[in-house]
Amino acid sequence: MPIQGAALRVVGDENAAAAGDAGPDAASSAAPSPGRRSASPYRERIIDATLACLARHGTLKTTVDDIARGAGVSRATVYRVFPGGRDEILGAVVDTEMARLFSALGVKLGEADDLEDALVSGIVEASSRLRDHQALAYLVEHEPEMVLGHLAFDESDRLLGAASRFTAPFLARWMSPMEAGRVAEWATRIVLSFAVSPSAETDLTDPVTTARLVETFVLPGIAALHTAVAAPSIDITPFADRSSGTERLSDTD
Amino acid sequence: MDDTRQRILEATYACVARWGLAKTTVEDAAREAKVSRATVYRAFPGGRDELVTAVVAWATLVFFAKLREQVQGATSLEEVMERGLTFAHRSIVEHEVLQRVMQTEPEKLLPALTFESTRIRQGIAGFLSPYLEQRGLADGVDLAEAADFLARMVLSYIAAPGRWDLDDPVQVAQLVRAELLAGVVTARPGEVDPS
Repeated sequence: MPIQGAALRVVGDENAAAAGDAGPDAASSAAPSPGRRSASPYRERIIDATLACLARHGTLKTTVDDIARGAGVSRATVYRVFPGGRDEILGAVVDTEMARLFSALGVKLGEADDLEDALVSGIVEASSRLRDHQALAYLVEHEPEMVLGHLAFDESDRLLGAASRFTAPFLARWMSPMEAGRVAEWATRIVLSFAVSPSAETDLTDPVTTARLVETFVLPGIAALHTAVAAPSIDITPFADRSSGTERLSDTD
Repeated sequence: MDDTRQRILEATYACVARWGLAKTTVEDAAREAKVSRATVYRAFPGGRDELVTAVVAWATLVFFAKLREQVQGATSLEEVMERGLTFAHRSIVEHEVLQRVMQTEPEKLLPALTFESTRIRQGIAGFLSPYLEQRGLADGVDLAEAADFLARMVLSYIAAPGRWDLDDPVQVAQLVRAELLAGVVTARPGEVDPS
C-alpha cells in the first residue's frame, strides 16, 4: 500500500507524510521542506476537493487528476501548491480537518458559562463532527487501517496530546492547568471511545444524553481529582502499599 | 477449542513472532504445526486471512485470560482495577510480538484488533459487574451503563496512557479513584465528601 498510514499522521509531523512512496508523479519534487507551506488561494480549494474525493473513493482511488478536476484547477497548479503530490495533500487534509475541528471546539468552549456546559458542548460538538464527517466515514468503512493507526498505542497518545493541549486552556478557567490537562484528555478519551465503537444507549451527539453522562461520571471524577490533588483526603493508597501499612499520599504537583 | 485448531493457532503465532503478519503463510503455519496444508484449510477454510484474524483473536484471549488471573483474589473493586491497569500496561509495553507488529505492520493488525475490541469491552464489563454490584453503585447509576463506561475507559488507558504514568502505583490509585470510580460507586465509609 503506497501511503500506508504515513499520509494521515496527526498534526505536527508533516515530514512523515513525505517519507512514504510518493508515487510516479512526484519524481521531480524532493520531500517538502518544513515551513514551505504555501499560502496559495488554491490551497483550501484543493483540500476541500480532496475531502469530496475521499468521501466518494477513499485514498486508494483518489488521484491528483481527480483532485485537480474537483477543485477546478490544473494539475500543474496542484503541484505548485503541493509539490509532494498526493501524499502531501493527504497530510494537509488531516492537518486542516484537525484545525477545523479544534477551531469549532474552541468556539463552543469559549462560549460556555460553566464547566459542565463546556464539557457537554465540547463533547457533543466533537462527536457530531466526527459522526458527520463523510470522508472519515468512508475511510472507517473501506480503509480502516488508515484511521485506526491513530487510535491505538503511540499514535493515540499523540492524538490525545494534541487534543488535550488545545482544549485544556479553555478548561483552566475552572481548575488548575494540571487538572485541566487531565480532564481535557479524559474528555478526548470519551469522545474517541464512543466515536470508534458507537453505543446504542449512549449517543454523545445528543446534548441530553451527554449532559447525563457528564453529570454522572465526569463531574464527580473531577471533584475527586481536585480533592486528591489539593489535599489528599480521599484514600488513594494503592493496593500494593496497603498490606505493608504504609501511609502514602499523592504527591502529584 | 479442539487440539488441532489450538496447535495451528500456536504455530501461526510463532510464525508471526518470527516473520510478521504479512509474511506468514498457510504453508508456514502447517509446517510449524506439523500438519498438512489440507488440515489447516479444514480448520480455517478462509485460509490465510481467516488464520490472521483467528490468531489475533486467540492472542487477545490469551492476554485477557492472563489479566483475569492477575486480578483473581483482589478483595475490592479498586484493587481489581489497580492491578488490572498496572498489569495490562506492563504486558503491552513488554509484549515483543505486539510491539513489533505495531511498528512494522499496524495496518494488518489494527482492523483485526478493532474487530475484537467490542468483544473485549463486553468481556471487561462482564468481569467488572459483580465487583460493582458488591461495591454498591452511586444513586441513579445503571449497572450495565457503568460497566460499559468503565470498560471503555480501561481500554482507552491500556491502549494509550497519555498523561498518566501507569508504572506509578500512586498515580494508578488516583486514576482509579478519580476518573474511573468517583461517579460510579458510593463513597466508602470514612471518605465522604470532605466539604
